[in-house]
Amino acid sequence: MADNQKRILEMLAEGKITVDEAEKLLSLVEPKEDTADRLSDTTTGTRPSPKYMRVVVQPDPASGSGSQVERVNIRIPINLIRAGMKFTTLIPPHAAGRVNEALKEHGVDFDLRNIKPDDIEGLIEALSDFEVDVQGGKEKVHIYTE
Amino acid sequence: MKRPPCLMRIRINNRRRNINLWLPLFIILPIIFILLLILTPIILVAAAVLWYSGWGRPLLMAVPTALGCLCALRGLEVDFKHNGERVYISIK
Repeated sequence: MADNQKRILEMLAEGKITVDEAEKLLSLVEPKEDTADRLSDTTTGTRPSPKYMRVVVQPDPASGSGSQVERVNIRIPINLIRAGMKFTTLIPPHAAGRVNEALKEHGVDFDLRNIKPDDIEGLIEALSDFEVDVQGGKEKVHIYTE
Repeated sequence: MKRPPCLMRIRINNRRRNINLWLPLFIILPIIFILLLILTPIILVAAAVLWYSGWGRPLLMAVPTALGCLCALRGLEVDFKHNGERVYISIK
């Protein structure tokens, strides 16, 4: 058990905090420690390539609006992303040109024809370090790979 | 190629009803395979006709790519909860 969790449980046992407060504190501590564990795996080089991308939307414990907020938990296989990206190779040259022009109009200077299988693999490898944590309003959004 | 998904689980829980379905996808797979065998000559002819317009190759490659996507669905999970209602879809 991590030091922070022990400290919270000790505070609960001493009566310094209530059960609800302890629960909130534990939920705040857990994701950070999970991230730290994953980072330490990266430094040792033992980390396997990601298999899934996880999108979690849950109520923010600080807002106290438990049941009213939507809870979403989606697990997307990385293979599905890989297979989906292969669809870009099916775009005929003239259509790809039009797509690129449309992307440029919207400020995205990116050529779809330049995506190669190696690039896709590189992108997926890079996803292992990908993590988004958004906290705002009543919800908390966490996107990560596992 | 990865193994195609075998089962799909759909769970819908709300105040009125609880639905828990296990759909055996492995039964559909032989049907897809037979359909593909029937459609192969048509796809080949269409690809040959459309080759010079630039759509022949995408048409030819669409089948293996779509099958790849189908196989990659294995492991997909969607869990949605709101106001005591829950929708859960899992592909195994």
